[in-house]
Amino acid sequence: MKTLVVVPAYNEEACLPTTLEELQALPADFEVLIVNDGSSDATGAIAEKFCAQRPGWQVVHLPVNCGIGVAVQTGYLYAAQCGRYTYVVQLDADGQHDPTTIPTLVQACQQHQWDLCIGSRFLGHQRGASGTTRWRRLGIRMLQALIHGLSGVRLTDPTSGLRCAAPAAWKRFAREYPDDYPEPESAFWAVRSGLRVGEVPVTMRPRRAGASSIRRGQSLYYMAKVSLAILLDRLRAQGR
Amino acid sequence: MNAERLMFLGGLAAFVLTVYWVRSRDLKEKYALCWIAVASILLLCGLFPQTLMTLAQWLHLSYPAAVLFLALGIIYLFALGVSVSLTHYHRRQNRLMQQLALLEARVRELELAREKFQDTERARLDRASAEPIEAG
Repeated sequence: MKTLVVVPAYNEEACLPTTLEELQALPADFEVLIVNDGSSDATGAIAEKFCAQRPGWQVVHLPVNCGIGVAVQTGYLYAAQCGRYTYVVQLDADGQHDPTTIPTLVQACQQHQWDLCIGSRFLGHQRGASGTTRWRRLGIRMLQALIHGLSGVRLTDPTSGLRCAAPAAWKRFAREYPDDYPEPESAFWAVRSGLRVGEVPVTMRPRRAGASSIRRGQSLYYMAKVSLAILLDRLRAQGR
Repeated sequence: MNAERLMFLGGLAAFVLTVYWVRSRDLKEKYALCWIAVASILLLCGLFPQTLMTLAQWLHLSYPAAVLFLALGIIYLFALGVSVSLTHYHRRQNRLMQQLALLEARVRELELAREKFQDTERARLDRASAEPIEAG
């Protein structure tokens, strides 16, 4: 049983080497796919260098910047085409996600028979110690309430990009996945489709360098777009 | 500037722009058809203001400006159609990008495997040629 770790990266030359070094500590049954999302810096070259030295590691280069959703979906498509993976884990390249928590996510999926396991920064004793701003926490709470109101399932961290998907979830994500800000919408799709979704506590670290893809001016657009997507997704037929 | 002259100038500008973009292949003919129709109607209304009055009477609209609102509705529907079409193209483009990236990775993988195979074969042939040929 192999697990694929998908690392979407856009202009992450400053953070990527450390993230990839940390990923090397994973057992041999964890393979890594770096999706270079049309970076204009040395991200692609760094990824190539790392992959050349490690069997089972691979890099794919999107010809232009397509956005986080398309990059992550490329990873799910890769897993679908290879056909040798049971679980697919998504991990940010910016250093916010601790790669040592990856086996915990996979184990949680196996133990509880979950189809999607989300790493939540608001669970366990470290809750709130994530450095998220008050506005972001408010936005997350609104999304929690929206998902809970429409599906009856309470997710504490629907915006988390650290997640492990079992075949029922990732095969669907390979077919259909939101382009931008995909995490809350894809989590909602999973719960409303009757997939088993669970959360495990994780610690999110501050970004090593660079800026978040959701900048201050974009927060309102983010909330409006994601809320609309979730509301309209509720109107779709089961499994679509 | 009166309304007729404004419509005439607007229609003329829309006509010239549409033709220019079709000529430079920035706009496909199938989309240009609708915009040329809109430009022609504007030109017609600007040149012959009486047309608008006659049209209003035919459609039993109480005042000619209501015809323009009707035209606005048609343009709105067309713009919505263009947005839907754009979404389809966007999805297709993303899928193409993904397939291209995955195929490129596969080609790279196969090339590496071929190089490794060629190196092994070369080494094997070198070893074979270096071995002394035993006399019968």
